Amino acid sequence: MSSDVRFTDFKSDKQPTWCPGCGDFGTMNGMMKGLAETGNDPDNTFVVAGIGCSGKIGTYMHSYALHGVHGRALPVGTGVKMARPDLEVMVAGGDGDGYSIGAGHFVHAVRRNVDMTYVVMDNRIYGLTKGQASPTSRSDFETSTTPEGPKQPPVNPLALALASGASFIAQSFSSDALRHQEIIEEAIEHDGFGFVNVFSPCVTFNDVDTYDYFRDSLVDLQEEGHDPNDYEAAKEVILDGDKEYQGVMYQDENSVPYHEQHGVTEDMSDIPEGAPEDAMDLVREFY
Amino acid sequence: MAEDLNWAIGGEAGDGIDSTGKIFAQALSRAGRHVFTSKDFASRIRGGYTAYKIRTSVDEVQSVVDRLDILVALTQRTIDENLDELHEGSAIIYDGERSWEADIPEEMTAVDVPLKSLAEEAGGAIMRNVVALGAACEITGFDVEYLDESLEKRFGGKGSKIVENNKEAARLGQEYVQENYDLSHLGYDVETTDEDYVLLNGDEAIGMGALAAGCRFYAGYPITPATNVMEYLTGRIEEYGGHVVQAEDELSAINMALGAARAGARSMTATSGPGIDLMAETFGLVATSETPLVIVDVMRSGPSTGMPTKQEQGDLNMTLYGGHGEIPRFVITPTTISECFWKTVEAFNYAEKYQTPVYVVADLALAVTEQTFPPEAFDMDDVEIDRGKLVDDDEVDEWLDAQGRFRAHAVTDDGISPRAIPGTTDGAHMSTGLEHDELGRRTEDEDERVQQVDKRNRKVETAKENEEWDYREFGDADADNLVISWGSNEGALVEALEYLEEDGIDVRVISVPYIFPRPDLTEEIEAADDTIVVECNATGQFADVIEHDALTRVKRINKYTGVRFKADELATEITDKLSEEVPAQ
Repeated sequence: MSSDVRFTDFKSDKQPTWCPGCGDFGTMNGMMKGLAETGNDPDNTFVVAGIGCSGKIGTYMHSYALHGVHGRALPVGTGVKMARPDLEVMVAGGDGDGYSIGAGHFVHAVRRNVDMTYVVMDNRIYGLTKGQASPTSRSDFETSTTPEGPKQPPVNPLALALASGASFIAQSFSSDALRHQEIIEEAIEHDGFGFVNVFSPCVTFNDVDTYDYFRDSLVDLQEEGHDPNDYEAAKEVILDGDKEYQGVMYQDENSVPYHEQHGVTEDMSDIPEGAPEDAMDLVREFY
Repeated sequence: MAEDLNWAIGGEAGDGIDSTGKIFAQALSRAGRHVFTSKDFASRIRGGYTAYKIRTSVDEVQSVVDRLDILVALTQRTIDENLDELHEGSAIIYDGERSWEADIPEEMTAVDVPLKSLAEEAGGAIMRNVVALGAACEITGFDVEYLDESLEKRFGGKGSKIVENNKEAARLGQEYVQENYDLSHLGYDVETTDEDYVLLNGDEAIGMGALAAGCRFYAGYPITPATNVMEYLTGRIEEYGGHVVQAEDELSAINMALGAARAGARSMTATSGPGIDLMAETFGLVATSETPLVIVDVMRSGPSTGMPTKQEQGDLNMTLYGGHGEIPRFVITPTTISECFWKTVEAFNYAEKYQTPVYVVADLALAVTEQTFPPEAFDMDDVEIDRGKLVDDDEVDEWLDAQGRFRAHAVTDDGISPRAIPGTTDGAHMSTGLEHDELGRRTEDEDERVQQVDKRNRKVETAKENEEWDYREFGDADADNLVISWGSNEGALVEALEYLEEDGIDVRVISVPYIFPRPDLTEEIEAADDTIVVECNATGQFADVIEHDALTRVKRINKYTGVRFKADELATEITDKLSEEVPAQ
């Protein structure tokens, strides 16, 4: 790990095809800066991306990376981290990837508390397929597949994480670059599953949850004096449906990450050139 | 034909049938006898009937037969279920003090032993099955002391008192029969030898193969009949610095395994048909991202939930063709329990050498059967590990483009690209399920698309040339009659040869452990007058493949009752099939 890593080292030479003004630019910048600031370099970083606009991030960043199938980014990251605890693992996805097709994995990744960072670019819309409702769309949000709105309450991903036993829950806004980067860094440095839901506006298909909307409505928890170690206080802000918050909502000070809990500490890529020396003992067990 | 003894214990699920059977099987194995076990679930009536059957001989045994010599019956139904296998010389051990009136055909020998009372005398009613084992020892002339070691193995963890009580229970059963019955007319006398055998099932052999091959990561979701692979690895893989994780579903399991593989670990998942369906989603990604991964399918009866505890070889098409688009892959089908070990080792090498998913397709009959082998059958010195084109910090340089970017999907003559795992300096790259260029970046360029598809398929061509995709052969190589099989049918076929020989029918048996790539059997089929393909499914999935390869018609023997082939049954079917006309072209 070299000390002179700059955030641009995490940038590939591929130009993003996101729409001009897309929130994902800011989200990605914060991720790259956060990775560099916390002492990582591209050769020891593994980025996993799902499907959707957010999924393209693996192409625009430079590191070891896998761009997988829709909704399964968290299991991939889990496997990477278990096999190689020495790596920095960052998983990125969108609200569809994480809270719809991958919702089952989200719950269990949270429970497992693997020491990795999960960044969800939440734009409350399906952008890549040109504007259908997402699990975080408002119930009256009119789209091509929900002309009168989904008529269902949006998923509250923070509450879902809390109910699943999360050890770190945060929310940021891609446009508030400094705060977003700080929150990402805290998630990276957290001993366990660092979950950040990022408001990452879609300028093309979502005219409700816009930059202006978030700028006007966001309340910064740290400015409010919120104590992230206070579970009850966290519960209150997470379940508060009237306000949009940014900041670290909850952090379990006593979080024990999966690898410590299960003693998974070895570099699993390193194996002998033949069967293990004592392998005949495995056979003798069957006497 | 081997001088064999067929023994069984049957009762209701929850009666400790499996563990009692295993104790007896282990004792026979320790006494230098070969053992082949099978588990019986009711086939005619629904309900809780279950039985553990042992076929044992001083010679190798590799199939089940339709004969039962000694039966420990904990229920009347156990007797009823097995009437067609019992014969005049059979002895049936039962507990006459129990509430049920045993209805045993007159020509058989009823051995009434107060199992429960004697168990209580030894320290607890729970040991009644062990009393029955002691009784069985007396009837078969098998020294009851042979039970001691397996009782210690089974109950050692519960303390010496429990072990001693069980030993006592066995002796009380043995003595009771000795004192109350003269069964010398039955003529059972179990011979022992000085041979040392190990006793294991196919799932365990797969797990052990994975450990020998350096597998360090396993993710799975419990499913019959593959769960035992996961249970075997749990508690053992950690000794080598590995880990087993129980995923939330099979979608997750294969993606975790994929992640670990991309991180550089030898990685595996195992499941059965319903899990393979879910994993099909990620299977194409594994192939397109060129990730080495071993996926085990222990087949059971389908489709859908089918008959989850029943035998079938119905997933050939799924593993050979499953997944959208065109996916290069290897499909390996071990034919015996020891081959489950070796083929798993091979699978890991193919996966890494060719950076391709490898299916190891076993079946329920292999998974739940325990069989004896000399320990040398698993000689760990013969395990070779080939990690393929894994590049280190120095070798990476050869594979950088003009801008210093690693060409993870470099187009090469043999189709195989270099593989840099995370942590390798300057090896950072992305891989993706999207079509990509040499750097792993998305492309829809026509030339690049064709280059990448061709290169991935070229890996299979390279493997076809460089590896031996041979078959196993039994019987008379010059026979006019050819029988082809895949998977677990091999043992029953080999024993069927003895019956056929007695009837003067010469047969050449070819047992195929590779479905893709696979040996071309055209010459063998052309050399034979008659070709029969034997498999446990209704439609003849392998027969279709064989017909396609050899451009001819073959005869088929298909069994899809949920029960494996038996040697005598196969001999009869083969004889009948040979007299039939060859199907029209």
